[in-house]
Amino acid sequence: MSQPNRIDGGQVNRDRRLKFSWNGIFHTGYEGDTLASALLANGQRLVGRSFKYHRPRGIFSAGSEEPNALVQLRTGAAQEPNTRATTVELFDGLKATSQNHRGSLEHDLMAVNDLVSPFLSAGFYYKTFMWPKAFWEKLYEPIIRASAGLGKLSMQEDPDVYDHGYLHCDLLVIGAGPAGLTAAKAAAEAGLRVILADEDFAPGGRLNAETYEVNGQPGAEWAAATAAEIFAMPNVRLMTRTTVYGAYDHGIYGALERKTDHLATSDGKPRQVLWRVYTKRAMLTAGATERSMAFGNNDRPGIMLAGAVRAYVNRFGVTPGQKVAVFTNNDDGLRTATDLEAKGVVVTRVIDARKGDVVVNTVGRKGLHTVYLNNDRHVEADCLAVSGGWSPNVHLTCHHRGRPTWNADIAGFVPGGDLPPGMVVAGAANGAMTLAAAITDAHENASRVATDLGGTTPGEAPRASDEAFDTAPFWHVGESKTRAFVDLQNDVTTKDVKQSHQEGFRSVEHLKRYTTLGMATDQGKTANILGLALMAEAGGKSIEDTGTTIFRPPYNPVAIGAFAGRARGKDFRPTRLTPSHKWASENGADFVETGMWLRAQWFKKPGEKGWRDSVDREAAQTRKSVGICDVTTLGKIDIQGRDAAEFLNRLYANAFLKLPVGKVRYGLMLREDGICYDDGTTARLAENHFVMTTTTANAVLVFRNMEFARQCLWPDLDVHLISTTDGWAQFAVAGPKSRSLMSKVVDDVDLSNEAFPFMACAECTVFGGTPARLFRISFSGELAYEVAVPARFGDAMIRALMDVGKEFDAVPYGTEALGVMRIEKGHAAGNELNGQTTAQMLGLGGMVSKKKDSIGSKLSERDAMNRDDNLALVGLKPIDRAIHLTAGAHFLTPGDRADMAHDQGWMTSVAYSPELGHSIGLGFLKRGKDRIGEQVRAYSPVRDQDILVEVCSPHHIDPEGKRQRG
Amino acid sequence: MADITLTAAPILGADMQIGANHIKERDDLAVVSIATPLGGDDALAAALKSRWSLEMPSPTATTTNGEARAIRTGQDQIMLVFPHATPDAEPLVQSKLNGAGYTTDQTDSWVILDISGPQTLLALERICPIDLASFDIGDAGRTVMEHMGAVVIKLGDDRFSLMSASSSAQSFLHAVETSYIYVT
Repeated sequence: MSQPNRIDGGQVNRDRRLKFSWNGIFHTGYEGDTLASALLANGQRLVGRSFKYHRPRGIFSAGSEEPNALVQLRTGAAQEPNTRATTVELFDGLKATSQNHRGSLEHDLMAVNDLVSPFLSAGFYYKTFMWPKAFWEKLYEPIIRASAGLGKLSMQEDPDVYDHGYLHCDLLVIGAGPAGLTAAKAAAEAGLRVILADEDFAPGGRLNAETYEVNGQPGAEWAAATAAEIFAMPNVRLMTRTTVYGAYDHGIYGALERKTDHLATSDGKPRQVLWRVYTKRAMLTAGATERSMAFGNNDRPGIMLAGAVRAYVNRFGVTPGQKVAVFTNNDDGLRTATDLEAKGVVVTRVIDARKGDVVVNTVGRKGLHTVYLNNDRHVEADCLAVSGGWSPNVHLTCHHRGRPTWNADIAGFVPGGDLPPGMVVAGAANGAMTLAAAITDAHENASRVATDLGGTTPGEAPRASDEAFDTAPFWHVGESKTRAFVDLQNDVTTKDVKQSHQEGFRSVEHLKRYTTLGMATDQGKTANILGLALMAEAGGKSIEDTGTTIFRPPYNPVAIGAFAGRARGKDFRPTRLTPSHKWASENGADFVETGMWLRAQWFKKPGEKGWRDSVDREAAQTRKSVGICDVTTLGKIDIQGRDAAEFLNRLYANAFLKLPVGKVRYGLMLREDGICYDDGTTARLAENHFVMTTTTANAVLVFRNMEFARQCLWPDLDVHLISTTDGWAQFAVAGPKSRSLMSKVVDDVDLSNEAFPFMACAECTVFGGTPARLFRISFSGELAYEVAVPARFGDAMIRALMDVGKEFDAVPYGTEALGVMRIEKGHAAGNELNGQTTAQMLGLGGMVSKKKDSIGSKLSERDAMNRDDNLALVGLKPIDRAIHLTAGAHFLTPGDRADMAHDQGWMTSVAYSPELGHSIGLGFLKRGKDRIGEQVRAYSPVRDQDILVEVCSPHHIDPEGKRQRG
Repeated sequence: MADITLTAAPILGADMQIGANHIKERDDLAVVSIATPLGGDDALAAALKSRWSLEMPSPTATTTNGEARAIRTGQDQIMLVFPHATPDAEPLVQSKLNGAGYTTDQTDSWVILDISGPQTLLALERICPIDLASFDIGDAGRTVMEHMGAVVIKLGDDRFSLMSASSSAQSFLHAVETSYIYVT
């Protein structure tokens, strides 16, 4: 298993050989290789097919800017498409495959697209798929979808786990190249808490790829030593394999750390962690990205950025070719020839655009073999190193809409406009394109930040020399007759850019959308400037006047799984459990999610065939003997203070000022606009002490509104609130035998109707001394109590209640039976309190006190909310008792057309009543209270039901309330 | 009267070791909230000082007398946390305050986890948005962890007390336990 292109030197560990497979064939590389360097070492130049034309493509860069070498990693459910081979750290057992081809990589059937390329130019799909209209959905879209997307998803659930996290620092340094290392070290020496993040697995940036010296040491050695030095400092966190992908508000940055991507297995640990980094300052030292030039057939495997060639040679000990030509417009490109020759690699020619020499075409279908120059010259080369200059990585400076500005001296955009607050930029990212300048810039900026944040003076800046830097803008070779690619990832050519301009897309944003220039995984890192330059040329304007698209997060792709973190499956949100949950689980409970709560909705008994069997039994048995239901989920708010009664009086629509101690009152809350939004009961335990219950769904909302009222509306009142929802395990005990049962539970309380009547409450003890609260309230309409004990006794309490209840044929009931009984009784619940409901509609108009001011009372007096023909809550029964009613059905007068003009209201809640033996409903009907006994149509086109129903009192059972008061 | 005595149960009964780290539910602590009556700040501070030798806590720092700890949870609200096993913590506190504060028993509303070990800060980094590395011993903060409201108190080097709602205690423990597992 030879590595024919492996040469001496580099920073790979040759003592550790790694085995990997590419398209099923095993190769070897070394620790410290990327997949790209290992493939090149093994002579694999063809690694993928282009997006649109399926042209053969090779490795183009050595970093995250890679547009070509997109591969699929791993297999099965863990398969990940569209991964850049240049950023994949090699590990033993890595399995990688090429993508976006039908048939083999070498013989891609879709390469036929290249032959019809004249028909596939910019915007072709906008023009081509317009007609016939009917073809779009059935023919065009499926074909386009099948062709798009490059790699393939496994279509299985991602087996990896991901996590989130939070980090804090004084200074976040983004990029650990020479500028980043300098800045991080200086800031750390000044005493700041520093995080230094870099997307590479080895700190050093370009120092690892070049032959520069710093402080008299080879650059890579200085980088490794400096990284080790600051890593050992307690106030520094060095995060390799971490991409800072976005700048957000308030100095917060998003960063993705790849924890185990470089390992064969995650071993159950998160593969990636998405960090939220809180910073006082951030320094962008992200360096610069080299760009290409556009010339004929400039996309062949073997054509590569010159800086990448140096990286493979100097860092990885790999030569991308045996005969290398260099095409450059700047001094940096010439360095490539020097470095190659120093490694013994043959350089066949240096083609310098500044001297009038250009490449007009290349030949070599699956790998470059000849380069054609102007003036009919040609040169043999299996690798062409291209350098069109360097573009500062300004991306994160734009995340708050800052627009970079053009700097003609370096022929690139530099940070401009307003940067994200707290951000400074240094080094090549700031336009300091040479080594000494970058280091000096970083050191000065770090010193300023340290001073701003109260740090001490850092040490001296490292010593380095500036390399030669001369660049002359050169964008494309006009003499080229064949296609010249601008954006390799999206197959955008010079012709596409010109055509876009000709067709009227003059804004750079339009150019991007029309041609797809700068989209997808690389976001045009190597292509954008070239595209802008061509557009500027087409419009006869300067690049500066043409402007640029700006960058949005993320800087590099982030897996959706990383954004989700742990929030998957049952961990999507927290679960709240009632104190009787364990007991309920043991007793056949079927649970339903109610917000975050899990509540028992029924308790299945052996022999019951469906949920209705259980629910009917529970409701019937409760009304016959006694039922027990966990109602802990209802919101409980402890209200204390000298002005607690006055506070409640202002909060509730009905009066509370004179509620006696030891009594409970039903209360109705209105929004400011007079619409009902919650109801519940409030008990007065002492002169200045109340306990309110709210609906389960609105517990948080009511508490929040009350706090707002307390703190903002009436801060002069002495009133204090605290939630006790979780603190008390509360059980409803309902049914004709509830008094008998409770008399065996409660200590020393006379439960007779005279001593403890309907709406009474007391603090007491149960079962011989456990503190408790007792309320005589009823949601079912039966004689009923609610008893609460501290939650720690909840499990023991339900077991004790059921034990004692055996004598009375007690039954546990769930939320479904609770719902049946409240509909039978005509109590409003969430279905009725839907945000449109007035007190008058509920038949509670009289409760809105006119003698006092309370939230919503004034606006509830508006004429439109008090008309006689308004909707009113009624009960409904099917004329044919065998029919089941349908919630959501609309009411119509028999004979009227079924349209909104004739709409008379709607059915809000329905249930089968075991008590009555047929289906019953509640609903809002126009002039409802005057229409008792009428027949109306209940029309539900959704469920294909159109039946006659009888309007009746909403109180289907015990309208006089004798049971609950008995 | 039925011959039954109710027995208190811990919310979780959690006592687990993950690597060199430890998670333990503290079901031996009582929690009582004390609200300051309007205009009664000085009286409450004096009562706290005289009856418990406690200073009023600031929003970010608790005070302790070695046994009881006071935690500020609102502009006019503190929590008193102290060892007490029976369900009568509120009347006990109120008897000492003698009306200087409004008291509510919160023992059963909260789960308290003491967590400790060398990976504790790393574990908390995954779920706690607060900068815990800058905490001194006794510092506290209210925050949200994995959508659950929480109070975090630094008890010692690599040792914290976490308080969260008792109804979601299992989810809270799962979040803390998962964090430890992920970093050990």
